[in-house]
Formats: sequence, C-alpha cells, structure tokens
Amino acid sequence: MEATALLPIGMGLIVIGAGMGIGRFASAAAESIARQPEAADKISGAINLPLFLLEGVAILAEVFTFLMLIL
Amino acid sequence: MIATLSASSSGSVMSRVGPNIIHHVSNSDISHPIIHLPTVAGINLSVTKHVFMLWLVAIIISFSIIIPIRAFIKSKSNIPSGWLNAIEAIVQFIRDSIVKPNVGEKWVNTWTPLMLTFFFFILFANGIGMIPIFDVLGVINRFILNIPYSDSHNFINGLLHGGVTATGNFNVTAGLATITFFAIIIAGSMAHGFLQHWKNLVPHGLAWPVYIILIPIEIMGLFVKPFALTMRLAANMTGGHIALLALLSLMAIFGEMFHSTAAGIGVALISVPMSAAIAGLEIIVVLVQAYVFTLLTSVFIGMAIHVHH
Repeated sequence: MEATALLPIGMGLIVIGAGMGIGRFASAAAESIARQPEAADKISGAINLPLFLLEGVAILAEVFTFLMLIL
Repeated sequence: MIATLSASSSGSVMSRVGPNIIHHVSNSDISHPIIHLPTVAGINLSVTKHVFMLWLVAIIISFSIIIPIRAFIKSKSNIPSGWLNAIEAIVQFIRDSIVKPNVGEKWVNTWTPLMLTFFFFILFANGIGMIPIFDVLGVINRFILNIPYSDSHNFINGLLHGGVTATGNFNVTAGLATITFFAIIIAGSMAHGFLQHWKNLVPHGLAWPVYIILIPIEIMGLFVKPFALTMRLAANMTGGHIALLALLSLMAIFGEMFHSTAAGIGVALISVPMSAAIAGLEIIVVLVQAYVFTLLTSVFIGMAIHVHH
C-alpha cells in the first residue's frame, strides 16, 4: 500500500485528537462557570490561550498532512 | 465562482473541481500579473492578486482607521463621535484586555500600537476575503459591459484570478510573524538589556548537563513561536474557504455522477444552506484569528519581559 493512502486516516486521527481536546476544554469551562458564575470572565479569559495553542497544534498537523498529500 | 467554474478547461467535473478550489484560495499566477513591474535583485516585483489585496487593505485601513484617528487627535476634543466610538471600543479592548494583562503596566504604551496594527490589518485582510467584491465585479464585467472572460488584457478580468484573502497566503503570514519574532527580541532587550535577554532564555542555576538539552530546545522554541503563528493564521483562512468551496462543488460532482441536473439541484438544497452556515462560522473565525494573533504576540512579548525563572 502506498504511504499516501494512509494520509486520510492521519487526518481523521488529528480531528479526533483535536476534538477530544477542545471537548475537554469546553466541558471543564462549562463546569467551572456553573460552579462559580461570577468568575465567568476570568475562566473564559484563562481558557482562551491554551485553547488556541491546542488549535495551533491541530492546524499544524493538518497542514503537514495536506502538504504530504500534494507534494 | 460559477463564472469561472464553467470557463475552466474541459475534462470531467471531478478533475476540474480540485484545481478550481485551489484557484480560488491560492495566489494568482506570477507569469500573468495584474500590474507588470521589473525584476529587482532577483525578485519579481509584479503585482499579483494577494499583493494587490494587501495594498487594498492598507488603503482601506488608512481611510477608515488612521485618518479619522489623526483628525480626532488634531481636533483636541476628548469626546469621540460616530465611527470613532467603534474604533475607541476596539482600541480600549485591545489595550486593556489583551496587551495590559500580558505585557504589564510599564510597557503597555510601548507595545499597544504594534498590537493595534496587527489586529486591524489582520481583521481587514481576513474580512475582505468574505466579501465577494471581485465576483460581483466579474459578473458586471461579463454581463453588463459585455467583455468576454477570455480577454486577458482587461483589468477586471486580471483581477478575477486567485484568492481574495491575502492572509491565506503563507508568505504574508510569515512576514507578519517575522515582525513578531523581532518584536520579542526587541521587547526582551528593552526590558533587560541585549545580552541579559539571551541569558534569560534558559533558567540559571541548574546542573550543567541539563543545559545540553535545554539550550537547543529554547533556541528551537524561539523559531517555533512565529512559525506556529504563520501556520495558524494561513491554514485557518485557507481551510475555511476550501470547506466553503468543497460544499458548493458537491452540486457539480453529484450532477455529474448521476448524469442529471435534478441531482445537482437536489444536493444544492442541502449544500447551499450548509455553505451559508459555514460562511457565518467563517465570520467568527475572521474575528477570532485576528484576536488570536494579537493575543499570542502580546503573550510572547510578555514572556520576554517577565521572565519567571
């Protein structure tokens, strides 16, 4: 089997990983806001940065997969 | 979009969809630039679509942000009116909730101008990609002015090639991230002195074998930060447009697969609302990516200023 045939599987794995990460972030944020609604601003502020870093990793992986596909 | 879809080279729909999508997100061909300019020092200075969009964004920002603010400062009044209220809200948001918590009270006025420049430039460059100005211009050109699509000397026809989002080009975002790269070094040098900034990269007072691993990692991290910024912005902008176009292309693909127009129209009932929804999502992404780039740049600058070792 060619290596490029496995690339869609890789892309799927990236989506699963990123989705699980973002899901955990969202659930943790929702839970902590529910416990302490007055701290909602601080919680969403603190959650932004790691969320974008996570998204960056996922995007990088997607880009490299895509580049392997077309190069 | 549809005008170019039908005007593409012959072949089955499946083999035309991919190149058509790439045509709508990538830069226009350097051998057919919009404005011909000479080659200086091995660099072809001809204006392609993305360069044209950069200049267009710069002009729009000059007229809508820079000139009103200059006039406001000159007028000596302390109360903004009309459009300036909106600008003031954005400027205040960026200064107080992006730059100040990260960079700190002492340096906030030094770095807010750079962050504002980043934010407005990226916001306008992203946002202009969601406005179908050139598709409308192409339709007017084709059906009202009656200029055929094949006329390559027509200025508007030249504008139709290539993607509209300049920030979807890795070279543009790499240029922006290079500014971040030097801003981090300058921020560290201003706060601690040039040599001390480089010493601050690694914590001091560790056993010497740790440094063998730590120094290469920190030097890598120096380059990974702007690289991640480059990839994040460009891939987000390109990815959204590819998703939109792929959904719209489903109409052509299904029409070809079942050899009937009805199949294409049936899929259109699903794929057009879907792409409208994704276009709405893209408008959020446009705002979020401008915010993220500014936020991360100020976080990195703050990391160079407040060294926690």
